[in-house]
Amino acid sequence: MLIGIDVGGTYTDGVLFDNLQSQVVKVVKVPTRSEQLQSSLMDVLDRLLSDQDMKGIQRIVLSTTLVTNLLATNAAEPPALILIPGPGLPFEYQLTFPHSYIVKGSIDFRGRETEKLNRQEIEGVIETIRASGLKKIAVVGKFSNRNPQHEHTVRDIITAKFPEAEVGIGSELAGQLNFIRRIATSYYSLMTRKRWTTFAHDIEQAMQKRGLDNVPLDILKADGGTMPLQHALQYPCETILSGPAASTMGAKAITGQNANAVVLDIGGTTTDISLLLDGQPLYASRGASINGQYTHIKAISTRSLPLGGDSPVCFDPQKGIYIEKIRKGPAACFGGGNATVTDIFNCKYDLHIGDADKSRQFVQQLQVESGVALPELIDLVEDNVMQQLMDALRNIFTEWENEPAYRVWEVVHDRKFKVKRIIGIGAAASAIVPVLAALYKVNSFIHELSPIANALGAALARPTLAFNMHIDTQKGTYFTDYDGICGNLDKGSSLQMVDAHKLAREVMQKLAEQRGLAEYADEAEFIREEQFNMIRDWDRIGKIFELGMQIKPGFIKEFEEGSI
Amino acid sequence: MKNTGVIFFPAFDWAISPTHPEREERLLYTRDQIFEEGIMDLPNIHEFKPRLAQKKDIARVHFCVPNVEAQITDAHLVSAGSALVIADAVMNGEVDNGFSIARPPGHHAMTVAHGNRGFCNINNEAIMIEYIRKKYGIRKIAVVDTDVHHGDGSQEIFYDDPDILFISFHQDGRTLYPGSGFVYELGGPMAWGSTINIPLLPETTDEGILRVLDHLVLPVLKEFEPELIVNSAGQDNHYTDPLANMRFTAHGYAELNRRLAPDIAVLEGGYSVETALPYVNMALLMAMAGIDYSNLREPDYKPERFKENPRNIEYIDQLVSHQLFNFRSRQQHIEENRQKYGREFSEQRNIYYDTDGISEDQSRRLRVCRACPGWRRIDSSARHRTGKMYHVFCISVPTFACPDCQKEAMDAYKDMAAYQNNFDFVYLQDRANDRYIALDVAKGREEVYE
Ligand SMILES: [Zn+2]
Ligand SMILES: [Zn+2]
Ligand SMILES: [Zn+2]
Repeated sequence: MLIGIDVGGTYTDGVLFDNLQSQVVKVVKVPTRSEQLQSSLMDVLDRLLSDQDMKGIQRIVLSTTLVTNLLATNAAEPPALILIPGPGLPFEYQLTFPHSYIVKGSIDFRGRETEKLNRQEIEGVIETIRASGLKKIAVVGKFSNRNPQHEHTVRDIITAKFPEAEVGIGSELAGQLNFIRRIATSYYSLMTRKRWTTFAHDIEQAMQKRGLDNVPLDILKADGGTMPLQHALQYPCETILSGPAASTMGAKAITGQNANAVVLDIGGTTTDISLLLDGQPLYASRGASINGQYTHIKAISTRSLPLGGDSPVCFDPQKGIYIEKIRKGPAACFGGGNATVTDIFNCKYDLHIGDADKSRQFVQQLQVESGVALPELIDLVEDNVMQQLMDALRNIFTEWENEPAYRVWEVVHDRKFKVKRIIGIGAAASAIVPVLAALYKVNSFIHELSPIANALGAALARPTLAFNMHIDTQKGTYFTDYDGICGNLDKGSSLQMVDAHKLAREVMQKLAEQRGLAEYADEAEFIREEQFNMIRDWDRIGKIFELGMQIKPGFIKEFEEGSI
Repeated sequence: MKNTGVIFFPAFDWAISPTHPEREERLLYTRDQIFEEGIMDLPNIHEFKPRLAQKKDIARVHFCVPNVEAQITDAHLVSAGSALVIADAVMNGEVDNGFSIARPPGHHAMTVAHGNRGFCNINNEAIMIEYIRKKYGIRKIAVVDTDVHHGDGSQEIFYDDPDILFISFHQDGRTLYPGSGFVYELGGPMAWGSTINIPLLPETTDEGILRVLDHLVLPVLKEFEPELIVNSAGQDNHYTDPLANMRFTAHGYAELNRRLAPDIAVLEGGYSVETALPYVNMALLMAMAGIDYSNLREPDYKPERFKENPRNIEYIDQLVSHQLFNFRSRQQHIEENRQKYGREFSEQRNIYYDTDGISEDQSRRLRVCRACPGWRRIDSSARHRTGKMYHVFCISVPTFACPDCQKEAMDAYKDMAAYQNNFDFVYLQDRANDRYIALDVAKGREEVYE
């Protein structure tokens, strides 16, 4: 038995899934009490477990908006930032957050120190931070992912001078190239870590009380994979945007096909759109964006449209018939007081959704009000909905197709997104998605489990793990952008691509074991590999290797894809 | 602040040969620097995806022997295509200006292409310029070649075109490849004065180069009134470049680009992959986008190391006044040439392709026309690297050709095609009608790019 719970902004959804029979045993939905996420969560968990044998529970996965809420409301205590930018862009570009202090020092792209730190200056900054009453400090340097020495030194000074402070460093929190995103990611990670830790302890206690302390408890991430709760303590920000990630993984689970597909999650007021490329979720090319800042958090790319089943259809003498962006209540067929998008489709296609007479009644009222004939009125609204969706899809496709390319091969083999099917989830999908799919001349797919695809996606998602490795054989070093893992090479300049692969595999194996996902380590694959001869005066002095390795999003071994 | 379009195309899967300066590693550290700075995330920087240039775009500029396919790889099409994407973005008003940081480079490639010269097969700027003229109807364009090597390919391509102002400053041809770009190379008889060469002494610093810019390049641009300014942006004037001997810095490059304010910059040479390119490319990008570059410098940069020699300043001032005088008397010279040459101007040339070791003999004839820049004929022969000897005949009609020249050129091509001749290929490059034909004489078969 597998459990998935998605704590969303409005509802908390839970599902109990019997993986041996490959069927959903129980579904629970309660309104989310945003001030007390734990209680909504435990409420759902208890209801799912009410008549279950605890011994049968193999795994619980949570997707939660806790961190998202913290970030949106700025409710957590902010950290101070000690930044080591060195030469380059003006400092103003790095002073995005309050309490940022710039200190001397610089590292270049090969990890060479090009300017020394000034100890006195750093101690002064630490005193200023202490005096301002802040207790968290993020230390972030440009190119600290190629040499973290400066960040380590500053951390050591803080530990000596200000031991109460909670410190995080950029090379461990966000090691990918891009200093500005590293600053943002480090800032938000440190900001939310304490609250997340408290939450995690509360959850662990609650599990213990229910005799579930031996059941693995995982957290869903923005990239559609999971991580163990313990590990999430270090990377709280990876839990943002897990709601859309849950839905996308759920859609993938119920279709069970590795084709190019569009996933439309059409709720009451919004439509979330994501893409599956050969069954793999498409990531946001610049990482998750938090309060308008790009970060190094891998996230499934989703686009939101202010259009849903409950969007009111209105008449105005100036504008004519139009679709309102703000929800006024449920659709007429569900007892609402005005015609909505759902009602229009209900009338046109005889869908028998809810009380279909009510739909008809309110649409007719609109006809009287506007003087537009009924078939015309209905077509007008339908065209508008389809136009909005198709425009959004075209934008998403072209954006993906136009992502920069750095290799000849990528330009020669031009990308083209060809939709093979449109997967509808969410309450209003069944009315709208088939019409859209017909326009694209592809199949639509709406499953009876669509409404709880999010919780199902959480329940079935497997762990993911990804890192990039930068190897410099002339310096005899390697660095990863994960946890600041780095080391020296045994082989030095004779290292070849096969050795580089071996090294990356070893790191992957070790990381997977530490994080309790050793069984998936074999499935890690190389998603990027480059090698560069370093030539000086026509002689080869070394090589640089760039490798990317990933356990990609997918489903746990207990679930067979395509079995639903 | 300006909206700046960028293509960064390092061609991480392409090299002339594994140890050649034009190899995968060339833009590796530039990638590190640009991406680590996060400059691509700024709201006024817009990164574009490259595309492949069409064969027709290449045939508009070059006579590739025996055909376009033989002279290029996909990498060349992408590098040229990158310039075209940037050109479209600038011309459509999507961005205020644009920078194509793509390799391989192109400014040593000439009209007839038998092989690789100075790491170049096809000329990215020239392809872009003729594309812009054809697509957007622009006539007057200025190219400022800031590469340390003389842009002999671009010069040759535009030599007879009075509407293209080609200005190149470079290390003196007596001390550096390709050994040309002297002050007396001022353009063809009907385009005299629209080629301006500024050979600089080795060790010239920021101060010297900016002096040339302020006192010669900018005034000349102002008087020429181009509709578009292109920077053929080589980065080998840098003090650490292994192939040249100048003392230009990243700050100097930024300053130059701020003052020049090109609409489009296209990367050319620059082979100091670690100590120059990451900083110079950042400098250019920042200057074009209007970002303050006072915090950008090389790690070993110290201003006191870069003092200009007073004797060099004297030399520069003389050079400047000499070339200003030449530029300002161009109309008079052209009028004299018209009297002197009558209907036709002809010359002989030998062109050496250093990378491929090819020696090409050309005899060229320009129709001297009152109404337009005139059409050209080039008789060219060269032994290719394969050992095969090619003898080809090229007819070129300029974009803004008068009807008479168009007709004459067309008749000349028809004559060549109709009668027995001893050429391997006869080409017609009809820019006026945007039609390009390669005739395989032995097979009697035409290939048409349209
Ligand atoms: Zn030059
Ligand atoms: Zn050069
Ligand atoms: Zn003419």
